[in-house]
Amino acid sequence: MKTVIITGATSGIGLETALKLTLKGYFVIGVGHSRENCDMAIEQIMRRNPEAKTVFFSGELMQQRELKRVAFELERYLAENCNGELYALINNVGGVRSWYQTTQEGYEQQFALNHLASFMLTYRLFPYIEKALGRVIMTGSNSHKGIKIQWKDVMLKKGYNPLTAYKQSKLCNILFAKALNDRYRRNGIAAYTVDPGLVKTNIGNKQTGKLVNVIWSLRKKQGVSPEIPAETYVFLCESRDAPKGLYYYLCREQKYSKEVTNENADRLFELSEKLCGIKYSDLVTEL
Amino acid sequence: MNVMITGASGGLGRALAAECAGRGYNLFLTDINEQGLRCLQSGLERQYGVCVTARKCDLTDDESVDEMLSVIDRNGIEFDMLLNIAGMDFEGGFLDRERESVVKIVSLNVEATLRITHAILKRRRAGREFSLVFVSSLASLYPMPLKATYAASKRFLSDFALAIGQELKSQNVKVLTLCPGGLPTTQEAISGIAAQGFWGEMTTNKLETVASRTIERALKGKRMYIPGTVNRTLSLCGKLLPRSFIAAIIYKRWIGAQSKWLSLESKT
Repeated sequence: MKTVIITGATSGIGLETALKLTLKGYFVIGVGHSRENCDMAIEQIMRRNPEAKTVFFSGELMQQRELKRVAFELERYLAENCNGELYALINNVGGVRSWYQTTQEGYEQQFALNHLASFMLTYRLFPYIEKALGRVIMTGSNSHKGIKIQWKDVMLKKGYNPLTAYKQSKLCNILFAKALNDRYRRNGIAAYTVDPGLVKTNIGNKQTGKLVNVIWSLRKKQGVSPEIPAETYVFLCESRDAPKGLYYYLCREQKYSKEVTNENADRLFELSEKLCGIKYSDLVTEL
Repeated sequence: MNVMITGASGGLGRALAAECAGRGYNLFLTDINEQGLRCLQSGLERQYGVCVTARKCDLTDDESVDEMLSVIDRNGIEFDMLLNIAGMDFEGGFLDRERESVVKIVSLNVEATLRITHAILKRRRAGREFSLVFVSSLASLYPMPLKATYAASKRFLSDFALAIGQELKSQNVKVLTLCPGGLPTTQEAISGIAAQGFWGEMTTNKLETVASRTIERALKGKRMYIPGTVNRTLSLCGKLLPRSFIAAIIYKRWIGAQSKWLSLESKT
């Protein structure tokens, strides 16, 4: 049985993908913000698929200290129960903020949660993914287009705009996937970014102010059910030979921003290593 | 430039620490939350490559402060700036709160601030300008029913800041009082802002702007910084209207907002 880890798996796209993958016979390890959310997610999955094999871990992945604890628990679990193999890591966790807010490290929260958390969790689980010749999938967004990384002020402290911060973090997702492919494709690892499209989830209603809340509540009415994007994740996991592309929408390869260059991907990779206090090269050898 | 920041691991403290680190200042951070301090220290070092020292300290405890001061003295650290951020409030009316917690507000916001201010002023770098910042509040401008102790403690700070600023002017010490409205620092603060409805959003300040302008103004030698046009207008009203009248208005406003906020909190 292949093991898949999904972050942000207690609602929306993450939960739907978790359910679908259990139906396909995967063992799904979910990660959620709180224990209560996790228990509710398990209940929903079991109700719709009584045969599902799933466990959930909880933690606030935006805080690096919490992420390290969760990563440690996941490592131990994978080693003890999954033969040390992780077939796919779906870095789906993400959020929206209305204001400039920081993590305990003083990092802007959207950057920390939407990008750094994925960067660091992938690092910690890399040996397990490598052992399974697995896949890493990020939840991106089409909104990554038409924006550049603001290298001089990557936390966007000057003139913070919540939407800009969100878009930039989604550009980071695809740059990270590209950097992983460039470095580790020969190690047998493939990385992807999924554009879920506009989906009816509560992303804009969690930890946001009134304005973002109202706008999102109106906007999400146009959105599709999370079942639609979930298919793309299933497709990327189920294809026997790893698909060649980088960016997928509705199970098809899509064009992505011109900003997704080698130079930007490397620069973000180095910056992220510094901000997380890690070095991928300490853990893996590029083949 | 050596800067001490108290209450550094809270939302405003972190934002000001990042602002100072971005300017390349050396930081001495203190807070009662050691874990938070460690995270912030490594975050600032990684992001800005500046020299950060962090030490846990309970500013309400003389012994704890003395221990920290002995470390400072052993290393011969002298300061150019002190940002007094440490402060607290508990929600609920005066009699709805525990006796200890009401007193604790004053011992941290007032007593502890005096304790550390005195100690660091004594350790300021000789022959240089020194900047001192007190975080007061929009609440300090009015008598505030249901936030009576907090508002009065902040009033103490703004009056004290103005007076000590005059007193130490000739010794090259510049004193700034920051009076922010709501700051979206924590989930709790954000739900507090939401519970106040329209006026909550209107009086809320942007954290990153407040942080950068506070340092800017402290260096320029300004005495008072009230962020936001709405807040400045409200503060003017506070000066023009009779204080008992203001207290009555605020009570009406807060009694609704607070019960809404408390019910929101109990739900989450």
